[in-house]
Amino acid sequence: MALAIVSALLFVVDLNSRLLEPVRSVLATFVSPIYIIAESPYQMSRQASQTLSTRELLISENARLEKRNLELAQTAQQFVALREENDRLRQLLGSRQRLGVEGLVAELIGVVPSPNTFQIEIDKGADAGVFIGQAVIDADGLFGQVVEVAQFTSRVMLVIDAAHAVPVQVLRNDFRSIAAGTGRVDRLELEYVPITADIRVGDQLVSSGLGGHFPRGYPVGEVVSVVVDPTLTYAQVSARPLAALDRARHVLLVSGSEAPSLTPTEQPLEAAP
Amino acid sequence: MNPTRGGWVIMLSIGIAMLLSVVHLPAGASAWLGWLRPSWLVLVVFYWVMALPHRFGMISAWLTGLVVDVLYADPLGVNGFCLAALTYVTWSFYERFRMYSVAQQGVVVFLMVLATEFVRMGAQWLGRDGALSWWIVAPAVMSTVAWPLVALLLGRLRYQFAVE
Repeated sequence: MALAIVSALLFVVDLNSRLLEPVRSVLATFVSPIYIIAESPYQMSRQASQTLSTRELLISENARLEKRNLELAQTAQQFVALREENDRLRQLLGSRQRLGVEGLVAELIGVVPSPNTFQIEIDKGADAGVFIGQAVIDADGLFGQVVEVAQFTSRVMLVIDAAHAVPVQVLRNDFRSIAAGTGRVDRLELEYVPITADIRVGDQLVSSGLGGHFPRGYPVGEVVSVVVDPTLTYAQVSARPLAALDRARHVLLVSGSEAPSLTPTEQPLEAAP
Repeated sequence: MNPTRGGWVIMLSIGIAMLLSVVHLPAGASAWLGWLRPSWLVLVVFYWVMALPHRFGMISAWLTGLVVDVLYADPLGVNGFCLAALTYVTWSFYERFRMYSVAQQGVVVFLMVLATEFVRMGAQWLGRDGALSWWIVAPAVMSTVAWPLVALLLGRLRYQFAVE
């Protein structure tokens, strides 16, 4: 009976506040070896296949990567020039310059097993400077955000989790919306899109940076269907996430140079008279 | 859980149950396959409480559940409540459960897993937008199927290492 009350209390406190984060974090540090052991067969098979791959395979792989590297280097050169131009123009407009973004590569070491929850375990934790709310991307787009940090590992909630939402904008016309997860691997839903909004199938969605959590300009998804029902207030817009959510092995933890800001409600509102 | 008199076997079996419950499917497997995972922890806890009610109490069950919460990313307290409740029920009827045949025990396991999955789903649903679905019957069915195997294996281990 007492245990039931304690459980209920913990449950309510955990859902409604962040008080228990240190508890979770300590427990997670002890639990993370279980994930590492559970992942080890996959790790070993990958290593074995790497060791046993033939010379020809390695050569072709190398050639492919060199080609890719060259392409990316070329894009990067253009990017540098464009960024300088952009900064100059922004200076002319008097707006703040874009902040540089730092990245930290992490490897996936486990997947949280419940079919309703889309979270993964990665091998970088508090000791590598990971913080709660940090944005995670992969090679193709926005992946999710850090929700729990242990000493050497952390948990990432994917953009498709039903509890996740990210502020986005349409690349074509800067129309702003919120992309919420649906609990399905291939589907995001845009919330509060008026039926008159200019949004079409094939539109690219990028993070708008408005919430303060996610850096601006990372690709999030591509609109796959727009259903306008005149009897409803909002259009039903679905998008396909671009990140390889169920395949990526390596992800990048990104952080801007500025510290994550508190939500407005956490800052004192009253000024001295 | 006292590590002497074979207590380490109990701890090890719970550790392995946790391990089995987070081993993930190879990339590219369909998502619904995830529902077919038996509730290894419920099976193992049920076995030990039934076989050795004096060794595995409600506090141990609750603490195990707390670790499982973090493992599964559930709200804290949910699995602790489930496992403690399970322990309480089993503890109240363990003499009767022991006399049951494996098939009858399987039915008990089915109901228990269904109840724990239901509580977990309800907690997720309360906590955020987790969906309610009929799929929770699948782990209950799979647990029933896995029960004879688990009971046999743990029984063997219990006699082998004289856990009492």
